[in-house]
Amino acid sequence: MTSNRTGSLFSGVDRWTVLFYALIVLVGWFSIAAATYDETVPHVFSFAHFYMKQVVWIAVAAVVAITVLLIDDRYYHMWAYPAYIIGLLLLLSTLAIGKEINGAKAWISFGSFNVQPVEFAKIATALAMARLMSEYTFSISRLGDLVKVAMLLAVPLLIIVLQNDTGSGLVLGSFLFVLYREGLNKWLCLPFLMLASLFIASFLLSPLALLLLLIGLYTFSEVMMSGEVRSRIIFVASLLLGAMVLMVLTGLLFDEGLSFYASLLIVSLTAAVGLAIYALRFKIAHTFITLALYIGSVFFLLSVEQVFNALEPHQQNRILSFMGIVNDPAGADYNVNQSKIAIGSGGLFGKGFLQGTQIKYGFVPERHTDFIFCTVGEEWGFLGTFTILTLFACLILRLMKMGERQEEPFGRIYCYCVASILLFHVLVNVGMTIGLMPVMGIPLPFMSYGGSSLIAFTILLFIAIRLDASTRHFGLNKI
Amino acid sequence: MIDRNEGFVRMRTLQLIVLLIFTMLIGRVAYIQFFNADYKRGAARNVMRVDVQYPPRGEIFDRRGEYLAQSRECYDLMVVYRDMDKEGFDTMRLCQILDMQPRRLKQRLNDARLYPRAPQRVANYVSKEEKLRLDAEGFRGFYTVSRTVRHYPLHVGGNLLGHLSEVSQSYLDRHPEYSKGDYAGIGGLESAYEVELRGKKGVKIMERDPRGAIKGSYMDGLYDSLPESGRYLTSTIDARLQRLGEELMAGKVGAAVAIEPSTGEILMMVSSPTFDPEELVGRERGNNYIRHLNNKRNPMFNRAVKGKYPPGSTFKLVQGLIGLQEGVLKPSDLHPCHGGYKIGRGVACHAHASPADLRFAIATSCNAYFCYVFRDILENPKYGSIKKGYEVWYDYVKSFGFGRQLESDFLDENRGYVPTREFYDRVYRNSWNSLTVLSLSIGQGELGCTPLQMANLAAIIANRGYYYIPHIVKAVEGADSLDRRFYEKQYTKVDPKHFEPIVEGMWQGVNVGGTSTQARLEGYDVCGKTGTAQNPRGKDHSTFLSFAPKDNPKIAISVYVENGGFGASAALPIASLLEELYLTDTIRRPELLKRIKDMKIYYPAYDK
Repeated sequence: MTSNRTGSLFSGVDRWTVLFYALIVLVGWFSIAAATYDETVPHVFSFAHFYMKQVVWIAVAAVVAITVLLIDDRYYHMWAYPAYIIGLLLLLSTLAIGKEINGAKAWISFGSFNVQPVEFAKIATALAMARLMSEYTFSISRLGDLVKVAMLLAVPLLIIVLQNDTGSGLVLGSFLFVLYREGLNKWLCLPFLMLASLFIASFLLSPLALLLLLIGLYTFSEVMMSGEVRSRIIFVASLLLGAMVLMVLTGLLFDEGLSFYASLLIVSLTAAVGLAIYALRFKIAHTFITLALYIGSVFFLLSVEQVFNALEPHQQNRILSFMGIVNDPAGADYNVNQSKIAIGSGGLFGKGFLQGTQIKYGFVPERHTDFIFCTVGEEWGFLGTFTILTLFACLILRLMKMGERQEEPFGRIYCYCVASILLFHVLVNVGMTIGLMPVMGIPLPFMSYGGSSLIAFTILLFIAIRLDASTRHFGLNKI
Repeated sequence: MIDRNEGFVRMRTLQLIVLLIFTMLIGRVAYIQFFNADYKRGAARNVMRVDVQYPPRGEIFDRRGEYLAQSRECYDLMVVYRDMDKEGFDTMRLCQILDMQPRRLKQRLNDARLYPRAPQRVANYVSKEEKLRLDAEGFRGFYTVSRTVRHYPLHVGGNLLGHLSEVSQSYLDRHPEYSKGDYAGIGGLESAYEVELRGKKGVKIMERDPRGAIKGSYMDGLYDSLPESGRYLTSTIDARLQRLGEELMAGKVGAAVAIEPSTGEILMMVSSPTFDPEELVGRERGNNYIRHLNNKRNPMFNRAVKGKYPPGSTFKLVQGLIGLQEGVLKPSDLHPCHGGYKIGRGVACHAHASPADLRFAIATSCNAYFCYVFRDILENPKYGSIKKGYEVWYDYVKSFGFGRQLESDFLDENRGYVPTREFYDRVYRNSWNSLTVLSLSIGQGELGCTPLQMANLAAIIANRGYYYIPHIVKAVEGADSLDRRFYEKQYTKVDPKHFEPIVEGMWQGVNVGGTSTQARLEGYDVCGKTGTAQNPRGKDHSTFLSFAPKDNPKIAISVYVENGGFGASAALPIASLLEELYLTDTIRRPELLKRIKDMKIYYPAYDK
């Protein structure tokens, strides 16, 4: 079997994707230069500068990209599983010989050069996902196959969590995006989305507000499904009244009465059980489903509290800081606050290259790695942040388009995997700098300083470009 | 595997999700970058250290150009807590340089820890020498800010000038243009002319890194501004007179005010006991302040504008003038007096020739005479009733500046007190007559006047019927004139033509024969009226009201000595000596000067 690609190295390569990639890398380089420019180093081109080191990494990345393009695309299909195994072994090895940086034992050190295996494990997992799900016999609606996918994701996730690098691990959760595209039952997606939003909401709102919100949601969906308004309002009113009565009664009977929250919890759960029995007897399916969701949510929320209390204090702080609950400028919130200040002070047009005071004087932590977006925000203003976000959006949408035009599921799935990984990284990284997401310590693709990350993302992206460039049919199992 | 159509729908859904996520991110970034200014302020707070540059406060001169208050260089020592040396520093050395107790330094640093980024003051009144030593030591996180402090070369006029104090929280709430650590004038001239004196603060904005190291000037000094000095004031005070007044009043409680009748300028204003304004400057300020506060004679209370006293016999002048204007009294009217006024509860009087006409009654200060006059005013059939008559009398008294603020430039003038008709209606349940309030006729009873109001009465009589609102500032640097009200003649309700017999009586009292003969100054036609006010707190108050010369008066003066006895025994000699100095530039009665300076009055009411 030979590649049917003829002509030069670049024929069939998607020019737009490469252009977006190159622009992002370029802006990233300028940002690193601005963030780390040190006037005390005498030579502008000295390799003591971070930006000069990054020049080297960009050059290496270019060589790697060309290499990736040179390799025949069927090898990617062929090596998917071995790569996955090697990735897992690498991850495992960090547990033994890894170097701890910022609390996560996720690095392997080669002299002065540190590699984060998880970056490469992502590529391997994406390849393995594509391989598994493009098997001819694979059916997404079959439970056994879903379990296989779950296992494929769960094993690396487990190791990453063991490394205490949960942030990077959550990237794998973004593969839900791919699963949805490949036809995962949307009712299976819904609980995941609900869990995620409930989890975030549980920190943003007080328990009572959350409970009231859930009751409101339940009533709303009941009204939507049954079309009846009055009885549902009476139902909510009697819930509240019942809770008050319970609160007052317990207050009278015992020295310490129940709080309104506890009373409402008890009354609503009791009512839910009653309603469930009623719905069962008269076979009202929708009531049963909404009730199940309600009870499930309540128990999930109660367990979130438990889980949260089991977390390490610094993790708790980070989550709380993200939720805006802890507001101590010198504590956990300090970084996010400084980051917002730096971005906010850029205004519409920014302060200009090398003119940012917040970045230059070091008010923003990790300003050339995880918080590189701040440099863009401060020095180039909204113009810069808008441009860079637009570039990322275009890149991701382009990847999805590339996926769609693949004739083989392998290529499509892989492209979607890359798109979802990039989307997750941009959302979480940019989100944390502007206070929308908790601080998780994951890099901004192609922009954050560091060879390991740049090279890994380059490989990830260029495999997709390589697959797209080929028009060859290779699905061995599918003729 | 799903069919193509379903796949297409799902692709569209995912594209929508991607777009939604990026819209959310861009929206949030847009909010942070141009809809919420907090972050820009935050950046400024991070990187900028705003050094306030304090202007020197305007200086105050007396009417002859002598310094009453000067501004002298000094420094504040500031600290930015988080910039301090984390390993600690030689606190003992710092305390030694500043002559400060280590406990106090520790307390200040603890306070500073609450606001680690904000500059906090550690010490004030740091001298130039101490500043240089501090600079040489170079304590990290500490720096000095240039200020000025007051210096009073003549050590006079404590209450008159007021003093400077660091602004309190309540002051800050009322005056948002000030900030913590600023000084503002309290009392007297300093507070009345605060706006003119304070000048304008400047700023110098410096850039710093997170460790507090200064990186240079922010935006090359674009937003920096230079301080503007406060304007200087020329006061109407005559420093010589003021000093002599304070010396003469020493050992006595009371007040003395002198006014130039032709302008309303206050030449001297003594409130006794007084304090040396220099005592409220520098590190001993706190102790001195407490000491004065605890002094039962209350030296920080400006009696000259805030004290309220019964005017006593000096008020007879007003009584006579009202009678003349109302037509119920002619200068030639005779009234008998044999030891007093015998109707009703009556009023006693000293022995003198009887009957007396108006001039003689003033010269000899006959009580009975003015009881007749007062009753004639109130019982004037023209008004139908005594109460109506009283209201007419009340309006006259008001027009002399009694019972209301004179609107001088002192902000805390007392109104004094003239009882209203309603007051008596209430107290006597509507049943009262001219005999009930008879003590008003000789300036006793409920009447209360400030020494400034009494001095103003002297000026009114000196001017024969009008006054200029008394004021203490002659000129403000850069201003062509003072407030308009100080240039307008304020007429009383008594026609100027009625003043001559009163002036004549005052002149006779000094120069022919009467209660005030001691006040005679050869060649200067002094006019005067003594007062001896009964009071419930002990010995009579001694007061004297005078102006000189009779024609073209140069000075009008009122002296009030609490529990000084007869008007002629304490107040008169003080006033006379002051007039002598002002009119002749010298004092030719050294024995009298010495006796009065050494005179100490015993005050059981204060010194308990």
